[in-house]
Amino acid sequence: MTQTATDSAAPAALRRRRKRAGRLHIVVFLAPAVLIYTIFSVYPLAESLRLSLYDGLEDGSAVWIGLGNYATLLFDPDWARQFWNAFSNNLVLFFVHMVVQNPLGLLLAALLSLAPRFGGAYRTLIFVPTLLSVVIVGFIWELILSPLWGVAETLLGAVGLAGLYQPWLGLESSALVTVSLISVWQYVGIPMMLIYAALIAIPDELIDAARVDGLSGFAIFWKVKLPLILPTLGIVAILTYIGNFTASFDLIYSIQGALGAPNFSTDVMGTLLFRTFFGQQLQLGDVHMGATVASMLFFIILVGVTIYLALVQRRLQRYEM
Amino acid sequence: MSDLTLRNVIKSYGSTKVIHGVDLQVRDGEFVVFVGPSGCGKSTLLRMIAGLESITGGEVAIGGEIVNDISPADRGIAMVFQSYALYPHKDVYGNMAFALRHAGVDKAEIDARVQRAADILGLRDLLHRRPKELSGGQRQRVAIGRAIVRDPKIFLFDEPLSNLDAALRVQMRVEILRLHQRLKTTMIYVTHDQVEAMTLADRIVVLHGGRIAQVGTPLELYHHPDSIFVAGFIGSPKMNFLEAALTGWSQEGAHVQVPSLGEIVVPVSRQGGSERETGARLGIRPEHVQLADPATAAMRGEVLVVERLGGETYLHLDVGAADPFVVKTDGAVSARSGEHVGLAFPPHALHLFSASGAAFPHRERHRTLAEPQGA
Amino acid sequence: MNTPVRTARARTSRLRRISGTASVHAVLLGYTLIAVFPVFLVMMNSFKDRRGIFGEPLSLPHAGTFSLEGYATVLSEGSFATYFGNSLIVTVASLFLILFLGAAAAHALAEYRFRFNALLKIYMIVGIMVPIRLGTVAILKLMVDLNLVNTLLALILVYTAQGLPVAVFILTEFMRTLSRDIKDCARIDGLSEYRIFLEVVLPLIRPVLATVAVFSMIPIWNDLWFPLILASSDATKTVTLGVQQFIGQFTVNWGAVLAALSIAILPVLGLYALFSRQLIAGITSGAVKG
Repeated sequence: MTQTATDSAAPAALRRRRKRAGRLHIVVFLAPAVLIYTIFSVYPLAESLRLSLYDGLEDGSAVWIGLGNYATLLFDPDWARQFWNAFSNNLVLFFVHMVVQNPLGLLLAALLSLAPRFGGAYRTLIFVPTLLSVVIVGFIWELILSPLWGVAETLLGAVGLAGLYQPWLGLESSALVTVSLISVWQYVGIPMMLIYAALIAIPDELIDAARVDGLSGFAIFWKVKLPLILPTLGIVAILTYIGNFTASFDLIYSIQGALGAPNFSTDVMGTLLFRTFFGQQLQLGDVHMGATVASMLFFIILVGVTIYLALVQRRLQRYEM
Repeated sequence: MSDLTLRNVIKSYGSTKVIHGVDLQVRDGEFVVFVGPSGCGKSTLLRMIAGLESITGGEVAIGGEIVNDISPADRGIAMVFQSYALYPHKDVYGNMAFALRHAGVDKAEIDARVQRAADILGLRDLLHRRPKELSGGQRQRVAIGRAIVRDPKIFLFDEPLSNLDAALRVQMRVEILRLHQRLKTTMIYVTHDQVEAMTLADRIVVLHGGRIAQVGTPLELYHHPDSIFVAGFIGSPKMNFLEAALTGWSQEGAHVQVPSLGEIVVPVSRQGGSERETGARLGIRPEHVQLADPATAAMRGEVLVVERLGGETYLHLDVGAADPFVVKTDGAVSARSGEHVGLAFPPHALHLFSASGAAFPHRERHRTLAEPQGA
Repeated sequence: MNTPVRTARARTSRLRRISGTASVHAVLLGYTLIAVFPVFLVMMNSFKDRRGIFGEPLSLPHAGTFSLEGYATVLSEGSFATYFGNSLIVTVASLFLILFLGAAAAHALAEYRFRFNALLKIYMIVGIMVPIRLGTVAILKLMVDLNLVNTLLALILVYTAQGLPVAVFILTEFMRTLSRDIKDCARIDGLSEYRIFLEVVLPLIRPVLATVAVFSMIPIWNDLWFPLILASSDATKTVTLGVQQFIGQFTVNWGAVLAALSIAILPVLGLYALFSRQLIAGITSGAVKG
């Protein structure tokens, strides 16, 4: 910028020292967050992807083997059995959440959005399990369902169903579904809250208009509210998907151990990763196979997110409200 | 000295130019209003004067000193914002004292200045309230008070009244005028509301598309707009425009042929108009049209809508033009929709614009402008 | 004039409304019991002796069954004070870093125009979609190299990296809605960009910071994975890991197990009682609408 002779006075020179500062502050604001995030989140992920392409030698060095580890994971009979078992268990887990947790969350949110008396209290209490550590939740249910304590049996007896009781967590046939339902119990608060937030964001005028147009309460929900909250349901679905592949570790490790007892019937990708990486019993820990399992998980999540972004989110139009 | 000079001021964002070389001279103590439709660049220009937007080209000088590279805090300006911009976590006193405390002014001096501003604005009893406990008008007053305590060379106002309701707006408008009379400081005021511009300004700067369309006193702009844009922007209801054909020039002025009106003479001079130009637009303000006997009137129209405001009445007429023709008339007029009325125009109230939108200047200045303006 | 009458139509619709309300409460109350009962059951039984726990698990503790022996075992056998201290240090330090660094980054992204702004924002928030656990293999290697294994700092750094994306996302969205005027006003008042952030922006975003804090806090306090992998030594164990391992050792001592669970639950419930309004307001304010 040009300076002319008019501003040669001393005060002006003084002032110029306090000129607009450079753009250094932008760097100062951003650098710490970007650095910590890069070093402890982005870099490890990239490094895991890289490690999955190597194999360790006995002398501690590593050799590049391309997609060899992935071939092992997918086609070596021993690995493939474990991988596909864990993967399909994750799918079951996901399925149970989608058909039980999210519809239940939707129902509770829909009822809460009618603003019943004590609505705030219901909402607060239903959210309690979500706050607890998965470890604690796991143990609570382990105790309740334990045949030793007999609480579950007593409770079923109170409604005349004592005959139905089985030690569900210990049976290969029911362990996985039981664990899934425990997880549903814990996390239903999240879809409930998200959907509730979306529902109360719908302007009252719109509902009033529908009522004047003669729609019943049920029809209003079905034809007016539901279409408007579809984007939120999409978000709930993708959050369920991601959580299912990673967060399920804590619960299963706590209740059933790293082997996904009984007999791997509750083994999921998270426990498989943990076992592969750290070793268990006779099996030695393997950094490179561990990185491979983690990378497979990364790709599985990437596929889910891509499908969500490409298909679901584009279709589910967001309405201005 | 707190005059302000803009010399060929330019602003661009990347390759988009939003201010196209503005030149303006504001005298010490003058109240200047920037007015224009949204997107005309008036707020950007104000923010460049404040130092909140960098200046792409040209110079801004305050009191003779070029301030292009001087930080906002050191330009000797104070600004009042549309959203009031009060610090919500400080009380009224804290808000007003904030800049002074930051500048290291001593306590007694801060207190004296805050108390004086509070007296001027009637904020004495509110000094220890938080902004959220104040009404819109009170918040606006605090925002102005915060500007006053800085004792600036220039006050900058960025649409300060547009968040207030109509009644409060009128009241605050008067308060700002009285403040100016009392402080006699240079004030630059941005608004999109031409009524605010007309009532507050010593001089109005009409901006259009990042350029100055016209600078002048409110009455100059009202009676002698330079262009069809200014003519349409200043005045409410808006000026009526009719398609016209220029047929020739004589001693009395321009001879024009108007479809619904026949041939008339408009007392303007030819200055600037090209020899062969024939397309033109005739302009007449709604308040300058007179109702006349339909049988003998120069022009007739059918009443479409009658808007009664009590003291006055607006008639929207179909005169065979594309847009309704609006007439502002007495509140007691008996016209009903469907009726035919006759219209008459005093020749000196007619405006003539070339096809490009430039006004042909009137042969005589309007009589209210004959006296010396301002002080 | 006709006197208005309450028609049969009006009566039935009134009845329908009342029965509708009743069924809404039936469903909500029913599920609330399902949600709360197991937690209540555990806490209730933690105050009983062994006979009370097994003999009458569903009744409140009374003079005949009341006992604090479970708590006595927990306090003598486990170092829960240390675990609590560790959890507290890790959670508070991580939260501080997430909020402060996240807010600074969000401020830069929301306030300033610079090259790669949009790209950088995407880079920062992509971490919401990619769980940090997938990098565990390399994180452990990195911590070994940095000599940080079995330190609380390792957990703090990882949790900060984990929490930043959500914080940056929510805070950037919110900061974009802040009035530009107030920051400009501070500029005219002569504040530096740093002080504008500290003295004007931070106070303005306090309510959202609280929401982000509660959000980020839950997964940090409850995490089992990283304490297990990065800091499982006795001196650095967190409550979650401590409880998990304690219960593993004392499976047959139910009183102790129930007491350990209750000890882990109580502070969370206490905090929730204090902050539930803020948490729920945060969730429902649309801050996480995505």
